[in-house]
Amino acid sequence: MRGRYTASDFYVAPLESPPSRRPPITSVGPLGWLRANLFSSKSNSIATVIMAALILWFLWSFLSWSVRSAQWGVIYHNLRLVTSGLYDRQEIWRMELVAGILVLLSGLSLGVWGRLARGVFIAVLVILLILVVVPVLAARVPEPTIYVLVEPQRPPSDFVFVGLKGQEVSFTFDPLTDAQDADERLLGFVESQARTEWSIRAAEVRAGNLDLGQHNLAVTLRLLDRQGRPLTSQAGSAVGDFAADPAGGALSYTLPADGWYVLEVRRDDSVNGSVGDNAGYAWIRVQGVETFASQEAAAQARADQFGQPPAVERALFADENSYRFEGARSVAEFFSLQVTPLFSRIVMPCFVGAALFFNGWVIGTLGRREKIVRRAVLGGWILSAPVILIILRGFEGSRTLPLVPTSVWGGLLLTILLTVVGIVASFPLGVALALGRRSELPAIKWTCTLFIETVRGVPLITILFMAKQIVPFFWSALSGLDLAIRMMIGVTLFSAAYLAENVRGGLQIIPYGQIEAARALGLNPALATTLIVLPQALRAVIPAIVGQFISLFKDTSLVAVVGLFELVGIVDRIVSGQAIYRPYQREAYIVIAIIYFVISYAMSDVSRRLEQSGAGSIRRL
Amino acid sequence: MAETKSSEPIISCRGVNKWFGNFHVLKDVDLDVMPQEVVVIIGPSGSGKSTFIRCINRLEEHQEGQIIVDGIELSHDVRNIAAIRSEIGMVFQQFNLFPHLTVLDNIALAPRYVRRQPRRTAEETALQLLERVGIPEQARKYPGQLSGGQQQRVAIARALAMQPKIMLFDEPTSALDPEMIKEVLDVMKQLAQSGMTMLVVTHEMGFAREVADRIVLFDEGRIVEMGTPEHFFTNPQHERTKLFLSQIL
Ligand SMILES: Nc1ncnc2c1ncn2[C@@H]1O[C@H](COP(=O)(O)OP(=O)(O)O)[C@@H](O)[C@H]1O
Ligand SMILES: [Mg+2]
Repeated sequence: MRGRYTASDFYVAPLESPPSRRPPITSVGPLGWLRANLFSSKSNSIATVIMAALILWFLWSFLSWSVRSAQWGVIYHNLRLVTSGLYDRQEIWRMELVAGILVLLSGLSLGVWGRLARGVFIAVLVILLILVVVPVLAARVPEPTIYVLVEPQRPPSDFVFVGLKGQEVSFTFDPLTDAQDADERLLGFVESQARTEWSIRAAEVRAGNLDLGQHNLAVTLRLLDRQGRPLTSQAGSAVGDFAADPAGGALSYTLPADGWYVLEVRRDDSVNGSVGDNAGYAWIRVQGVETFASQEAAAQARADQFGQPPAVERALFADENSYRFEGARSVAEFFSLQVTPLFSRIVMPCFVGAALFFNGWVIGTLGRREKIVRRAVLGGWILSAPVILIILRGFEGSRTLPLVPTSVWGGLLLTILLTVVGIVASFPLGVALALGRRSELPAIKWTCTLFIETVRGVPLITILFMAKQIVPFFWSALSGLDLAIRMMIGVTLFSAAYLAENVRGGLQIIPYGQIEAARALGLNPALATTLIVLPQALRAVIPAIVGQFISLFKDTSLVAVVGLFELVGIVDRIVSGQAIYRPYQREAYIVIAIIYFVISYAMSDVSRRLEQSGAGSIRRL
Repeated sequence: MAETKSSEPIISCRGVNKWFGNFHVLKDVDLDVMPQEVVVIIGPSGSGKSTFIRCINRLEEHQEGQIIVDGIELSHDVRNIAAIRSEIGMVFQQFNLFPHLTVLDNIALAPRYVRRQPRRTAEETALQLLERVGIPEQARKYPGQLSGGQQQRVAIARALAMQPKIMLFDEPTSALDPEMIKEVLDVMKQLAQSGMTMLVVTHEMGFAREVADRIVLFDEGRIVEMGTPEHFFTNPQHERTKLFLSQIL
């Protein structure tokens, strides 16, 4: 009813709209974020607290273990194996050269293409950080210390090892005069039969049943070569009379030749007169030598090079003693014992790498506007593939680049090679298969479908075995191919089949209107596919494709089953083949996991950047 | 008949029939379009308007009858199709711009790859066309960043870049918000004034009345009535036409 309206029922807004105000403080900024995301409700708050506690507990346990007692030496003592497998020691410089090339190219790319290339460059940098570390590989590696326990109950063991010419080895004898001293200095380093025995003695010492000071232990140490001839020590005497010299002493030698040596340990009964009196406890610490799990293991590992190991009655082998560090060390010790050795090895190569990278970056930045520079960098990448392969493989009979057969390539080098070749080769193949499967020609369509479905229906491991054995059988030309190259073929075919399905998914989401528009403009089918359909389809499935490449990267570890030692395979061989590293499986596999994670993460980071990068994501339309 | 004299039709359709499966979608369509003529096609939804104009650049194939465009008969000969398509520009209801390319690249693409023009030439032409449709400042953007009206104008520019003799429009303003319709129609009017041969499917009666030389009414796959705008709006003959006009006006 018209008459009922009052003045308050009419309104006209002022000409100017009011200025925008800031939102309330509790709904923006970090505080607002916390409230909105972590503590939005009671159940959310409880979940947050519980999960945070779990994560903190896990992190704390892991960190304290890795700082206080983990022995990362298993990796940095074996850097050469981990990075390059059995690649010839003398030829390691080639890997350094390759690493240098890649670093320079990455630097240039970062300079030229800026942000987009950053993900790629992070990936390359990480790989390099590990690859570049190679230099020292040929250098001598201080091995973990070995302990020989001398005790009254049994005659001491001799100790067999391999040494190289010019290598310095030292033996320290350390009498145990009281329980605490022994506990502090030694107990932490040993877990094993010897340690168990020692802890029983230590308990007796503490209980007062055993007085270490009462013992008069005298021992003669001699270092014998393969023929049993004693060597003369550079420092220290060959006899340790621990009763007379409770501080102990040391012997050191510079080895005259490559080969087997025996540290002979004898109780010296001439010092204390009667055999019964000459008893007591001591550790003899052996440093800087290569040791073995057993006589057989020694023969197996080194007989080719140095002949059979000397047969010694009561030889101590590493198997009988496990050298796991079980104590706790301080953070300072962690750095000095575990971190510094690694850094001292990689600091120089890192420096050179960084310098190269920086130079590349500067040149790239200065030249980014020049077409020539951009073309050169692109060409450099394209050329780098064959060049790198030639440098790494070399030629039969060449002096500067002697052949290094791919069968000895291993470690991270092989992993990355398999992955890169797999990705680069399977990409065009996969796209072709996907297009073929949508072809209007039935013969092509069915062939592609048959291939895709067959490969997808078979586990990768089967395909690798086939690549190793069945393929050469059918196709004799292939039997001459290196095993590593056959594996690359297997991995490529496998990856291509999955890639084809991913790409097909992308092709399906392209609206038909796009193809019609292209046709209406006069583009022929090939142009319409390459210029209009594929760019959009591929962009849409970048996450799926990268995900698949990441699993390809991880799946390369399966080539171990056909006798190639990539990253996982070689590390497995280190920790199972060399007795002294057997206790360090945890550390070794954690490092591998970290390497895999970092590279995989870098790959998915690249994918995210590619997706977000300029060229107009499809989702906008 | 390599060149067309202005007295001869540039598009000539004789007894065109088409079926989708068993469904008879075009029935004996006869239509001649003269050079520089603007023909507006109207008709209820599903009457075959789109199918008909898509036959003209062979996005659809007719099964019976004859379509001759600029002296070339449409057949299965692939070279003929390519030749025809580069003579005819087409603008779609849904724009169908290429979302992964910038506006400039959308327009320059076909000249570069079909006409093999150097990049620079193609881009200069593209910029001129953008100027002509009134959005030169959007050249570096992606289609997804433009409004509907702007996108449709880019689509027109893209079709013009191939320098076609004929332009086909399939409901170019139907997917647009009301406030953007005018800017697209203005471009089309200007195009008509410049002498372009145009075949336009639209429901914009104002445009038809003002710009069309002839109006064609489709119903159930056949042409029901054909004539000048005055004829249509003042003196329609067929019952179907009267009914249709009464619903739309
Ligand atoms: N590809 C196709 N397959 C089958 N039927 C179709 C196809 N395209 C269109 N039609 C049918 O043909 C008829 C005419 O369609 P169309 O030409 O798009 O009409 P209009 O554009 O006049 O609305 C409609 O009934 C439609 O359902
Ligand atoms: Mg239609």
